[in-house]
Amino acid sequence: MYDADVIVIGSGGGGAVIAKELGEKGLKVLVLEAGPFYGNKKWQNPNSERGGEWSSSYNDLDVDLYKKTYNSYENNMNDVVSGAFRFGPADRRRDPWHRVMKQKGDIWQVSGVGGTTQHYWSQSPRAFPSAVDGIWPISYRELIPYYEKAEATLPVQFSPTTPKEELFYYGAKKAGWTLIPTLNVDTPGYRPNPNAILRANEHLMDPNYSMEQLSHMEGCTLRGHCVNGCTTGPTMDKIAKRGTLVSYIPLALKTGNVSIRPNSFTIKILTEHDPKEGLRATGVQFRDTWTGEIGELKARTVVMAAGCIESPRLWLNSALPYNAWVGRGLTNHYFDWVGGVFDEKDLMSIMGMPAVYPYVGHTSGARVDIPGIGIFQVSCLSPGLMSFLTYGFSGAGFDAFNPPEPGEPWDMRGRVVGPELKELMMNYSRTMTMLLLTDDEVQFSNRVEVDPLLKDENGPIPIIHYKPSPKTLQRRDQLARYACETLQAAGAKKIIRSDLPTGFLLHLESTMRMGFVVDTNCEAYQVGRLFIADNSVHFNGIGGPNPTLTTQALATRTAEKLAGKYFDQPAEIVK
Amino acid sequence: MHPAKSYALSASPHTIATFRALVEAIVPNTPELAPFGAEQTIGASELGVQDYMIWELDHTLALFFGMELTNFPLSAPTAGMLNSGAVQLVASGHAQHVPNESLWETSPYSAIAPPDRIRVLAMLEELIVDLGALPPPYRDDGGFVKFIVDYLVRGTMFGHYSEWSAYGTTRLDTPTERRLEHFPIGWRQAGYPGVSLGYRALMGFPLTIVRKGGESTIV
Ligand SMILES: Cc1cc2nc3c(=O)[nH]c(=O)nc-3n(C[C@H](O)[C@H](O)[C@H](O)COP(=O)(O)OP(=O)(O)OC[C@H]3O[C@@H](n4cnc5c(N)ncnc54)[C@H](O)[C@@H]3O)c2cc1C
Ligand code: SF4
Repeated sequence: MYDADVIVIGSGGGGAVIAKELGEKGLKVLVLEAGPFYGNKKWQNPNSERGGEWSSSYNDLDVDLYKKTYNSYENNMNDVVSGAFRFGPADRRRDPWHRVMKQKGDIWQVSGVGGTTQHYWSQSPRAFPSAVDGIWPISYRELIPYYEKAEATLPVQFSPTTPKEELFYYGAKKAGWTLIPTLNVDTPGYRPNPNAILRANEHLMDPNYSMEQLSHMEGCTLRGHCVNGCTTGPTMDKIAKRGTLVSYIPLALKTGNVSIRPNSFTIKILTEHDPKEGLRATGVQFRDTWTGEIGELKARTVVMAAGCIESPRLWLNSALPYNAWVGRGLTNHYFDWVGGVFDEKDLMSIMGMPAVYPYVGHTSGARVDIPGIGIFQVSCLSPGLMSFLTYGFSGAGFDAFNPPEPGEPWDMRGRVVGPELKELMMNYSRTMTMLLLTDDEVQFSNRVEVDPLLKDENGPIPIIHYKPSPKTLQRRDQLARYACETLQAAGAKKIIRSDLPTGFLLHLESTMRMGFVVDTNCEAYQVGRLFIADNSVHFNGIGGPNPTLTTQALATRTAEKLAGKYFDQPAEIVK
Repeated sequence: MHPAKSYALSASPHTIATFRALVEAIVPNTPELAPFGAEQTIGASELGVQDYMIWELDHTLALFFGMELTNFPLSAPTAGMLNSGAVQLVASGHAQHVPNESLWETSPYSAIAPPDRIRVLAMLEELIVDLGALPPPYRDDGGFVKFIVDYLVRGTMFGHYSEWSAYGTTRLDTPTERRLEHFPIGWRQAGYPGVSLGYRALMGFPLTIVRKGGESTIV
């Protein structure tokens, strides 16, 4: 007997999408999520008591509970050890789930319904066509209708301008970049970010509406907390920033066909040998993170959407057939981060304002796209996060011990500490920072594997290794030069390149690659009825653009393929 | 006893002194910044960021040991690593300042001058140390040393410039029990107005996506 048509493992960037799509097709879907379910009546105190087991109803969602947890305080929300956003069990008295990393860096993934999209910045660009066509086993054209559908569902809209974007555009234009008004980026240029954020509230500039009123209405209020959890909106499904907890999850629950079980860590994929189909998935084993009890569920098909680390870990810990590429080919856009400190008088003459106001507007609102190299995007954070990303986190050591060569476009490179740090931080509100995303080359040696000795309650734990290729390094250096030139052109008085360490992992992709581990339908070559719907199926790092929209487009497509192959459902989107 | 106090007391004086020395070197007290406001002089150790670092390191690692999930507190071995680094720096003759003898016994790391403490971090992360002389789990594990040294710097900054210290007497409670007691000093130093419901800062929309019939155009 089957418990459902489909079991989906993980409810983040990809899992929530495929659950909603399959539910809309009338399939019965069970979602197992390792972390908590915030904003749900079944879990009144999600971080300190077990609460309920399943949620299957849209009416379970509760915006007041959601806003109570999402309080926007950066340490409370984003502390990697004990924050509401961390990769760990819902119970915040407990330690996070450990991953072994023998290099400088940090893995930023979030458990819980919505996964890492709970604190993502919701930038939703498409892949660079040049990174897909003739490279992926499917074409860019094939993806377009699914991009359109995901963009309309989230929905995606171009970012509004606030002071920091204004300054960014001013610098980008002076540095010679031109506006590219497109979603399909073939040529370099600047544009506002296509973000999954509801358009700014039309009454935002009207003083007759108080901020309190506006915060309970539909539409972004430019409060700048995207990374610390957005709370603007009247109901859960109308929260301004469209992480999947507030976009696809409510839609999935509305179908009446989807049930979600948080606090449930899947530890094994169950399989059987079928005389006709060969090895195929039949269900899962999971562990309740509060009670430690192990449960089993059976379904006709299984979808892994546990993210780029846990999907390969689950494969390996389930002893599924050997495939040399499982966990291999990890890309990560080898990030860099630069900042420019501005003088008040320059800002006055450019914008008529004395500051950059890094805490206002979308966390990231504008970008320069350079196919073949990557992207630099204005990205500004609250001071705790900003201070460490700009001055405390580096693969290049301490600036004071290795100051940059004269003639470099940055004045400082690497960590800055001591009295100098304090002076720089006094200028926080006049500092514009940018995140750089490199077109990262796939390397077989970059990987997720499992530790032969170390285990946690969910089995052998993952080990992550990432080292950029020479080509990736070269592109990243070029990108840092472009970004710093834009800061110079805008008139920054002091420029810092933090030179982030290689192991800072946010845009993990391609650890279960299409064409190697899964076929073009995202079904595993070696295990029938087992599909994957997270960042891991990407063939590469899509050229540098932020990865989630591509995962969401693919998950939409995979839902169609899965329903077509095993449930005789016709495809809706015609290519 | 107050939980925050009881927790702080559970770390040894050596460990506390070592972490105080670490956070002082990274975010120091700066009397020279007094003209910009009295709060600008305040450094991380006055905000208790050493306790933050100790708490974090003691709540970060849980692994199966035998048949049970076991917490491995990392603050004491991490302090041991910094102290070993300080001893090795002084022994190598590369210390730029004379250590303070009266503090040497409690914590060699706190006895060396702040710039030398940063030098120890650099030596450790570049693995220019005898890794065999470090305490486990860092002994002969250069990869883990690199990871943790980098964490020490950014963790200190996040502790200082986030709202953590403003949880005051509740700052070492389990996170769901912490309550904000005042406006965070680190935020004031940065000129951050704090959590806000929104800003009337809309300056226009350079581009807009218009959707009709499953297709989008840009205007
Ligand atoms: C700070 C930050 C900002 C970002 N900003 C952007 C952005 O602006 N745009 C963009 O495109 N991307 C952004 N990203 C990346 C984005 O978050 C990821 O691309 C996206 O979330 C990936 O989706 P996923 O489904 O692969 O994994 P996740 O979203 O991480 O979801 C995986 C889910 O599976 C669950 N899970 C894991 N293991 C198991 C198990 N064994 N059993 C059950 N459940 C399990 C996890 O708890 C999690 O909920 C950002 C990331 C970070 C950290
Ligand atoms: S800026 Fe970000 S956090 Fe603020 S309302 Fe808009 S989407 Fe939400």
